[in-house]
Amino acid sequence: MAFLIRTIDFTATGREIVRDRELAQDSLTIGRAAENDIHLPDLAVEQQHARIDPATGGQLTAEAVGTLGFTVDGRTTTSATFKPQEGVELGFASYRLAVTQDGDGPVTIVITQKEDKPATDAAKGFELASALPSKRAMAWAGLIAVLLAFLAVPIYTNLTRERVEPDYKKPGQTIMDASWSTGDLSVKHHGLEDNCEACHVDAFVSVRDETCLTCHEKIDDHAKIDRQLTSRGPMSRGDQFLWAVAETFGKEGPGNCTTCHTEHEGAGRMEPTPQKFCAECHDGMDTRLKDTQLANAADFGTAHPQLSAVFYGELGSKKTTRLSLDKPIVEQNGLKFPHELHLRKTGGVARMAGNIGSKRDYGPALECKDCHEPTADRYGFKPVEMEEACEACHSLVYDKVGDTFRTLRHGDVDQMRADLAAMDRAPRRPITTGRQRPGDYAQGQRFYQDFGRPSRNYIGINQALSPKGVCGECHIPTTRGGRADVVPVYLNQSFLKHSWFDHKSHGDAAFEKIEGGQRQGEETCISCHAADVSKTSEDLLMPKIAECRDCHLGEKARQAPVPSSCAMCHSYHPKPGGVPERRKDARDKQVAMITRKTG
Amino acid sequence: MASLPKANFAFHDRRRDTDHESFLAHRGFRWLKIATVLMLTVVVSYFLVDVEPRHNGGTWYGYTLGTIGLLLILWLSLLGVRKRKMSEKYFSLKGWTSAHVYLGLALIVIGTWHTGFQLGWNVHTLAWALMMLVILSGIYGIVVYSVLPRSLSNNRREMTREQMVDGLDALDRQLETAAQPLDRHLADVVIAALDQDVFKAGFLARLTGKYPRCATRKALRAFDGTGGDEAADKVRSLLARRQAQLDQIRRHMRYKALLEVWLFIHIPATILLIAALTAHVVSVFYYW
Repeated sequence: MAFLIRTIDFTATGREIVRDRELAQDSLTIGRAAENDIHLPDLAVEQQHARIDPATGGQLTAEAVGTLGFTVDGRTTTSATFKPQEGVELGFASYRLAVTQDGDGPVTIVITQKEDKPATDAAKGFELASALPSKRAMAWAGLIAVLLAFLAVPIYTNLTRERVEPDYKKPGQTIMDASWSTGDLSVKHHGLEDNCEACHVDAFVSVRDETCLTCHEKIDDHAKIDRQLTSRGPMSRGDQFLWAVAETFGKEGPGNCTTCHTEHEGAGRMEPTPQKFCAECHDGMDTRLKDTQLANAADFGTAHPQLSAVFYGELGSKKTTRLSLDKPIVEQNGLKFPHELHLRKTGGVARMAGNIGSKRDYGPALECKDCHEPTADRYGFKPVEMEEACEACHSLVYDKVGDTFRTLRHGDVDQMRADLAAMDRAPRRPITTGRQRPGDYAQGQRFYQDFGRPSRNYIGINQALSPKGVCGECHIPTTRGGRADVVPVYLNQSFLKHSWFDHKSHGDAAFEKIEGGQRQGEETCISCHAADVSKTSEDLLMPKIAECRDCHLGEKARQAPVPSSCAMCHSYHPKPGGVPERRKDARDKQVAMITRKTG
Repeated sequence: MASLPKANFAFHDRRRDTDHESFLAHRGFRWLKIATVLMLTVVVSYFLVDVEPRHNGGTWYGYTLGTIGLLLILWLSLLGVRKRKMSEKYFSLKGWTSAHVYLGLALIVIGTWHTGFQLGWNVHTLAWALMMLVILSGIYGIVVYSVLPRSLSNNRREMTREQMVDGLDALDRQLETAAQPLDRHLADVVIAALDQDVFKAGFLARLTGKYPRCATRKALRAFDGTGGDEAADKVRSLLARRQAQLDQIRRHMRYKALLEVWLFIHIPATILLIAALTAHVVSVFYYW
């Protein structure tokens, strides 16, 4: 076997010096000692470092003589067998021995010395850092971007904005402050969504009451401030602490708008004010506010006074009285109207309803809705109109001419008097007896005229106004200015003074009846209003609080079908805060009704 | 050990124990217990505390959790400072790391419960999201640190990184020589293979270990059907060895990338989080 040893050196100027020598032997020795076949003058190489011997199949074996190894294609080892035809690179310290063989030619060993290069370079390439920007650079870039976009821009544009009156429809001037919003505004404030500075006027100053009042200028104080302060109960220690902290941070204090009205709670209606804000004052208020007329209240289920009703308690007087439903209440609205009689399933009224049912949409018996018509918003009921509700049965017709009926005008006693007095066709006593006038002049015919004395007309008027008469049937007869008359009627549209009741959300069988805690069937008018057993209109048919509590208990009552906070029925703000306008009865004169009764 | 004074045995025994104890199990999972108690306290008190109208960052309870969370985040971010400061004071670094991990996990509950689960497109939720990103990347980091080092070690096959690179260089030099007899076409593909720097690998290539534009593999394909030609066979065999060496290096890079990637999220996201937190707190009080 022959080896071709080629040594490549470099001159100081970098020129290559190639020296070849051929060795016709089977094995080679490698080491620092000069007698080696391959002499490598590097102190890191052993004197006798390794040897190369032939192996089977044209292969060569390199083996370390001592304990120090060498590298084969970069890998450290002490023994390696390789095919010179495929090529291999052996490394001894700073020397590289490239071993190759072309066909059957001599095994060529090219010896070069490598220059020193920093070893850390290679290792660095393995790090992910070599493929990514540095963490520090990313952190700084992100830091600056976040601070610019979410802090610098909004603050700068907010500080340099022009101060204008807030406009509900226009966006504000602060840029990027939408990113500061913690949630959508409620429906009523939705127009201010892009106008943060409308409410958040000054930097680091909490939303002030005066800012709310720029738009809500009609809102009055709930009560006089000094009375409010007196009635507010002592705060718990926790609340005291919380308010101390809040005031340190510049909040206005208990009782300001934002205490009760929290915003940014998401689109939709604003959250109702929690009952605890009401209870702060109204719980045990009589001990602090000695002269108050109001009973204590803290929770609808457990601490709420009996409902009170406003009603006309004096016959014929406009003066109203307000009394607790626990007190004996006698309502004097001036009408005689037994609900029980009218709602009875059998008897005269039911019969009458059945008879004229097709004309008036009545069923086999009268029902509440036949007289009580809901308002368009179904919140309450329209005033009962005699002409609409009663006259179908209680007719005021007093004459018939041809096919046309003449009807008295309801509600005007003087007119009734005049109409009846002037009734020229009343069956007066004829002047002559036994003879009838012929043709068109006969009684009941076109030219009939009655020349008798009109005394029966006056008897008719008096009869009508008597207790059993047509007017007196429903109205209470009285005498005014020496003449027979009826007591004026005052009907109440609402019995509630400081709260409201929404029939729509209760009625139309929209909710279910509760019996003994169980839902059963559907609620009807009479399940709250005991009209079916009321034999006199002196009964005030408003349900007591116990019936409300079948469904409604306090805000936190888990067992109640409808947990109810104060705000469900009461408003804190005296006027426009949501109390529906009391429906006013348009008629200023409530008077009698009459039907004709021939003498 | 036998030469140790008996009086010091307990001390050294303790030292020995802690030396082999993972930071996760530090002092019998002390910080895991503390963090669990903290989380449970938050979760339970969340349901017991009655705030109006509902839980969010703006109630007294929300502010309390927010303050705790903020202080915790600032302290957690100080691990980077602490680990650079060799000291026996201020807890051991292992204890500090243990607390960092478990209190960081507790922050999931503290931060999320602070929001009252009201999230939106705003700087407040940005801060929350960054916090979650930091925590999740930290969890990832712990998982890969416990799983990947074994794979990394197996892949080395007792080679250092320098040796892997040297091996590649050795093959390259031989390829350079062996390719001399080749014609233009084959010489070009060898040049392309040699010119491609194994470390010029992008972020995704390192993470996935997929190199669709590997010139060595292309070169190997170019030598298909050149069987019989001695010079070509030699180059081909060298290319195959180069490919194997490349694979090892790339696997190594992949494990390294998988091991290190979380820090490239964890650290910058922490700084971003502190910026977003600043904006969050300032904006709340600015529009007070």
